[in-house]
Amino acid sequence: MEKLSFEESIEQLEDIVNKLENGDVPLDEAIDEFEKAMELVKVCNEKLNNAEESIAKIVKDNDKLIEFNINE
Amino acid sequence: MEEKHLTVSQINAYINKKMKFDVNLKNIYVKGEISNYKTYSSGHSYFTLKDKKSQISGVMFKYNKRSLKFEPKDGMKVIIKGKIEVYEKDGKYQLYATRITEDGIGELHIAFEQLKKKLKKEGLFDDVHKKQIPAFPRKIGVVTASTGAAIKDIITTIKRRYPYCEILVFSTLVQGDQAAPQIIRQIRHAQEYDLDTLIVGRGGGSIEDLWPFNEESVAREIYACKIPIISAVGHEIDYTISDFVADLRAPTPTAAAELAVPELKEIKNTIKQIDEKLIKTMENRIAHNKNRLDYIAKKQIFKNPESIYEIKEMHLDNLINKIEFTSKNIITKNKNQLQQLKNSFILKNPNEIIKRKKESYYRNIDKLEVLNPLLTLKRGYSIAEKDGEIISSVDDVKVGDEVKIKLDDGTINTKVI
Repeated sequence: MEKLSFEESIEQLEDIVNKLENGDVPLDEAIDEFEKAMELVKVCNEKLNNAEESIAKIVKDNDKLIEFNINE
Repeated sequence: MEEKHLTVSQINAYINKKMKFDVNLKNIYVKGEISNYKTYSSGHSYFTLKDKKSQISGVMFKYNKRSLKFEPKDGMKVIIKGKIEVYEKDGKYQLYATRITEDGIGELHIAFEQLKKKLKKEGLFDDVHKKQIPAFPRKIGVVTASTGAAIKDIITTIKRRYPYCEILVFSTLVQGDQAAPQIIRQIRHAQEYDLDTLIVGRGGGSIEDLWPFNEESVAREIYACKIPIISAVGHEIDYTISDFVADLRAPTPTAAAELAVPELKEIKNTIKQIDEKLIKTMENRIAHNKNRLDYIAKKQIFKNPESIYEIKEMHLDNLINKIEFTSKNIITKNKNQLQQLKNSFILKNPNEIIKRKKESYYRNIDKLEVLNPLLTLKRGYSIAEKDGEIISSVDDVKVGDEVKIKLDDGTINTKVI
C-alpha cells in the first residue's frame, strides 16, 4: 500500500467510498474494504504530514543537479 | 485704402485645392503611434497619430475598415497608408487612412496567423491530443530562464501550495534567435527525467520577446513531448502557438504553478471528507445490520428454544398415536374375521359335510346301477363276443369262428356251424 502513489491512493479511497455507499457489497467484504480505506487514509495523511519542503534544482547539461536558490 | 480680403471658406478651399494637386500627399505611408482612437456610431474611426515631436489627426472611414485584421488601440505603433487632405469645415488637414498595419511586427503577426492556421489544420491543437495533467505530481520540470522572474514565481507558488514535490529547472534562453533551439533541447532533456508535469514558458515581454514560443519547431516539440505540458508565456493577454499546442495553457507562470499542483489544504480537506464519509457509511451499515440482528433475536423461537423440540415432539406423538391406532385396527379386523370363520356353521359341524357327501355318493351309485349292462344279463340276455369284440351283426362272423357267449353266471364257448 505504501508503494501506491498519492494519486492512486486517493483514487482507491474514492472507489471504496462509492462502493460502500452503494451498499451492495456483502458486509464481510465491506468491513475488509473499510479497513483497507482506513489504512489508505492513514498512509495519505502520513505522506502529507511527512512531506518535505519542495526542493528546486537546476538540471545542468551534464545532468548535474544544483540546488536552486530563489534569492540569488 | 480698403484692403482686399478673402473669406475663411475661400482660403480653406484654396488650400485644399493646392494640396490636392500635390502628388506627394496623395499616396503616402505614415509611421507613428495611435492615440485617442475612437469609433463613432457612424462606423468611422478618428484618431491622432503621433511621434515624439509632433502629431496629426486621422480618420478611417467605415468602408476602409473592412481590410483591418485587428482593432487599432491607443499606444499601438502603426504604419498608415492614405492621403492628406484638408477638412475645410474645421480648417485643418488630416490623414485619411485606407490601410493600417502594425509597425515592425506586421510580418510576425502574419507569420503567427499562418502557422496557427497550418498547425490547426494538421490537428495539433485538437483536444484528443491533450494529455491529462496529473493531480498530485511528485516531480515537476520547468523549462524557462533560470534568471527570470517566471521561475521565481513558479517555485514560490509551488512551495506555498504543495510542499510535496521536486522541481527540476531546465534553464534556457527565452528570447532571441538562440532561444528556440535551446527550448527544444531542454524539452527533450526533461523527458529523460521521470517528470509528472512540465511547465514551459517565460514572463511577459513584447511580441518579439515572446517570439520563440511562436516558432514552428518549438510547437512541434511541445506536441511530441510525452510529458503533459503546461505552457505559460507572458501575460494574460498574450497568446502564443505554444499555448495552443500545449496540453494546458496557463495565463501566467504563477497560474501555471497553480494549475500544476493542488493546494495542500484542499487535499487534506478532501481526505478528511473521505474519512468522515467512510466512517459514517460504515456506522450506518453496522447500525442497520445490528437492527436486523436485534429483530431476529427477538423472535419467539430464540426466546424459547425448547419450542423447537416441543413442536417436533408433538409431531412424533401424533405419529405414534396414528401408528398405534392403525395397527390396533388391523389386528381387530383380523381377529373379527377369524372369529367369523370360527363361528361359521361348516367349521362347527364337519359331520354334516360327510353326511352330505355320502348322500350324494349313494345317489350316484344308483344312477350307475341303472346303466350297468350286467343287470341286463341277469334278466336272461347274453352277449356274443369274437376275439373280445362284441358281435352286433351276423356279418361279423363266418363258419368255424369261435364265439364266446357271456351269460349272467358264466361264459359258453361255441363254434359257428
